[in-house]
Amino acid sequence: MSPVSITYGGISGYIIFWILFAIAFSLFFRRAYLLFRLLRLGKKENRFDHVGQRIKAMLVELIPQWCTLKTVTRKDRAGIGHALLFWCFSLFLISYIIFIGLAGGLGLSSWIERTPFETAYFSILDIAAVIVILTLIVAAIRRYIIRPQRLEPSLEAGIILILVFSLMALHVLGEGLDYASRDVSASWPPLGATLAKFLKESGFSAKATESGYLGVWWLHYLIILGFMVYIPRSKHLHILASSVNAFFKPLGPKGVLKPISPEETETFGASRIQDFTWKDLLDLYSCAVCGRCHANCPAQLTGKSLSPREVIRNLKEHLLEIGPELIGGKQDSSSEIKMKTMIGEVVTEEEIWACTTCGACQELCPVNIEHIRKIIELRRNLVLSQSRMPESAQLMLRNMQMRGHPWAGAQSLRLRGDWTAGLELKVLSEGDRVGTLLWIGCTGALIERNVKVSQAMTRLLKRAGIDFGVLGDAETCCGDPARRAGNEFQFQIMAEQNIEIFKSYEIKEIITTCPHCYHTIKNEYPAFGGEFKVVHYTQLIANLIKDKKLGISKGLNSKLTYHDPCYLGRYNGIFKEPRWILQSIINKDLEEMERSKSESFCCGGGGGLMWIEEQPGTTKINQMRVEDAIKTGADTVVTACPYCLQMFEDGIEHKGMKDFLRARDLVEIVEEAMVKE
Amino acid sequence: MNIIVCVKQVPDPEIPPAKFKIDTETKKVIPPPGVPPVISVYDERAVEAACRLKDKHKGKITVISIGSEKAIEVVRHAISMGADEGFVLQDEPFENLDSFGTAYVLGKAIQKIGNYDLILCGRQAADWGAGQVGSILAEILGLPLVTFAFDIQLEDKRFKVKRILKDGYEVVEVPMPALMTVSSEIGLPRLPAGMGLMLARRKQIPIWKAKDIGADPTQLDKTKAHTEITEIFIPKRETHCELITGATPADAAANLALKLIKLI
Repeated sequence: MSPVSITYGGISGYIIFWILFAIAFSLFFRRAYLLFRLLRLGKKENRFDHVGQRIKAMLVELIPQWCTLKTVTRKDRAGIGHALLFWCFSLFLISYIIFIGLAGGLGLSSWIERTPFETAYFSILDIAAVIVILTLIVAAIRRYIIRPQRLEPSLEAGIILILVFSLMALHVLGEGLDYASRDVSASWPPLGATLAKFLKESGFSAKATESGYLGVWWLHYLIILGFMVYIPRSKHLHILASSVNAFFKPLGPKGVLKPISPEETETFGASRIQDFTWKDLLDLYSCAVCGRCHANCPAQLTGKSLSPREVIRNLKEHLLEIGPELIGGKQDSSSEIKMKTMIGEVVTEEEIWACTTCGACQELCPVNIEHIRKIIELRRNLVLSQSRMPESAQLMLRNMQMRGHPWAGAQSLRLRGDWTAGLELKVLSEGDRVGTLLWIGCTGALIERNVKVSQAMTRLLKRAGIDFGVLGDAETCCGDPARRAGNEFQFQIMAEQNIEIFKSYEIKEIITTCPHCYHTIKNEYPAFGGEFKVVHYTQLIANLIKDKKLGISKGLNSKLTYHDPCYLGRYNGIFKEPRWILQSIINKDLEEMERSKSESFCCGGGGGLMWIEEQPGTTKINQMRVEDAIKTGADTVVTACPYCLQMFEDGIEHKGMKDFLRARDLVEIVEEAMVKE
Repeated sequence: MNIIVCVKQVPDPEIPPAKFKIDTETKKVIPPPGVPPVISVYDERAVEAACRLKDKHKGKITVISIGSEKAIEVVRHAISMGADEGFVLQDEPFENLDSFGTAYVLGKAIQKIGNYDLILCGRQAADWGAGQVGSILAEILGLPLVTFAFDIQLEDKRFKVKRILKDGYEVVEVPMPALMTVSSEIGLPRLPAGMGLMLARRKQIPIWKAKDIGADPTQLDKTKAHTEITEIFIPKRETHCELITGATPADAAANLALKLIKLI
């Protein structure tokens, strides 16, 4: 007999059950519908392609909990707790449908209750309840006592912990009271049976336990309904939104920015919340405020005001605050004055310009939030619509426009084509045809330290017998710094020019030394009609060594550590090749920094910040990274990116560590190890 | 308000001096190949001045430049900043003109464009630095001239202009139309962004020849030029480095100050 089938003061339990359900559901639905309408404020974006692939990606993240398990490290095991909670709580959710919904609300109790199925399921739930309660205790201790940097002692989190705990407790209590009232002596489900035995031995009458059971059952039901009402009104909205967000997550190469759509003609980028796409808004709903982005953001860790977590949270609050007005059509000027200006009051300019686009936030985000493109949208608005940017950004962009490279002042020391002097290279000129182009990049062509790397690269390619050409003084910037600094049009102009040049020489393959050029030409030029085979030199050298086209000798007696450039590692997944190359050269094992591979820490030079002045903080990003390298005890930090090399050289100098640590490019190490001819 | 701005392409000032070559025969400076010319910094500020007036009072900005086909890029830059239209004056007789010849050609082009309220030039070119074209042009067109302007306000069909002096500035008023040369004190020119860049890229920039503007070839005869170059050379630069020390940073600063005082 189910508690629903009883009459309470003349009112049928079924009526009470369904009225309560209707109230809770309408509250839930009202909120869900509002959230849906707010989403639709965003701009259009097609994320409905490759449906099969998307469903698969979503299921892989959700059911085996890859979303949080992928973030588990030795230092942060919270993902395991989340997975346990998810699996166990899912069992409870199913049980609510079966035992409360079907058995109670629909009156199918005779089919379900007192069956071996119930006993079996309740036994599993008992175990699940123990796991959940233990996990909750650990979670509470972590959040309120140990409190790692990424977590805050938030009230919302506390409410959920208490709600879930009470659901578990009520489940066990209900079981025990039910079994006690029915005077069943069983050993399964373990918790329920033990509690029933205890109650009976304590002398509770069947009558008392029965009314206790009824009370607990209805309270349990009320809390489940409360849960449903509360979820879409709290940060736990992520339970609903993040799985949808996993379906809509970006496919294809990581970190590729979208060109400004031709529909945008008056204002560019995002100055109002509705200038983001619906996917960006869905990102906001998905955030569980876990803070992994916050705890791994190089800007945040070095004391800048930017925190990806806060950006997302503030944008979400802003959407919820002004969204309803926007839907209501109250867009007249009077209410617009009341509205906050998004840039400035919701996200500050300091925050916007502090991002290095290193991608650590997105890499660790369990719910597929795309932070960087929001920052870029905000930059686009500042640069393209408002012409507001730090002076250093302006200088860099001006130089890109007038001179085709971002290095203001560098030209007064050397000219773009100077690096080719004395190297006997095939410098392409009109009418030439060449299959393979060695793309040098601005830093590699103009900055003394990096020129050495470029020159070593050409010697190495020649030694391996590769037929290649270079553009010499005709090479211009790939456009990455302009794009990351928000000047999309400047980028597009440069991309189109470069694609035209590549096509005019019938270039098929492009070798790059700079990971930023690599990413841009490989992954971003295709949107502008430039599809070329792009190889980063680390891939090329690894192949040359494997194919024995480049003889190298093992035996370098140096303690090396390798720094993963963000745009090579995180963005393009090239982690193995550089390590394999180094390992085949040195005698010892390669030292790894604590933060490495996909969790590598930025050098501080990405996203245009090689030129845009770093804001004041507690320290500089590159100096923090140099400390990582120092901790390994290595004498040389090797990297494969001109920005990283510059940043390390500068950081080592500032730390006064020049006598203990050198920064070198991988090419230089390889050249040194090449078998002498 | 219709504004015409004269801009010049110059070798990139960032080119290291050692990279220039001098042709002693023809007395010409040869910049290193592969480095595109840029807009003269003062002319860019003249464009900025025009854009500021346009922002405030609406109007049309036309940009003209004498030069090679590369001058198209310089005009394009001005258009991306906010100018509406541009012309390049390119013809054999226009090459290697002195200030008088240049002013004559610009004057002809301006007369062809017609209907102007203000003509702006940079205070001088960033390459030769003669600073004469603006004044001669005003003479040719019979316009009131204000040099070294750094703040131009339009009040009741008259311009109220601040012009920079060695030790301050003075405010002058001129009627419309007028010619002004703009000084760098006006501030940094805007960074072309947004639609400007894309519009400028698609903009057709016509090239005008001598006959298009009705220039009289006899006026451009090089043998009758007012200017003669007698010698051209790259000045030798000597740097001398001296480390100024002191027991404390304050002492070092005091020593530096003493040193500087002696030099002044």
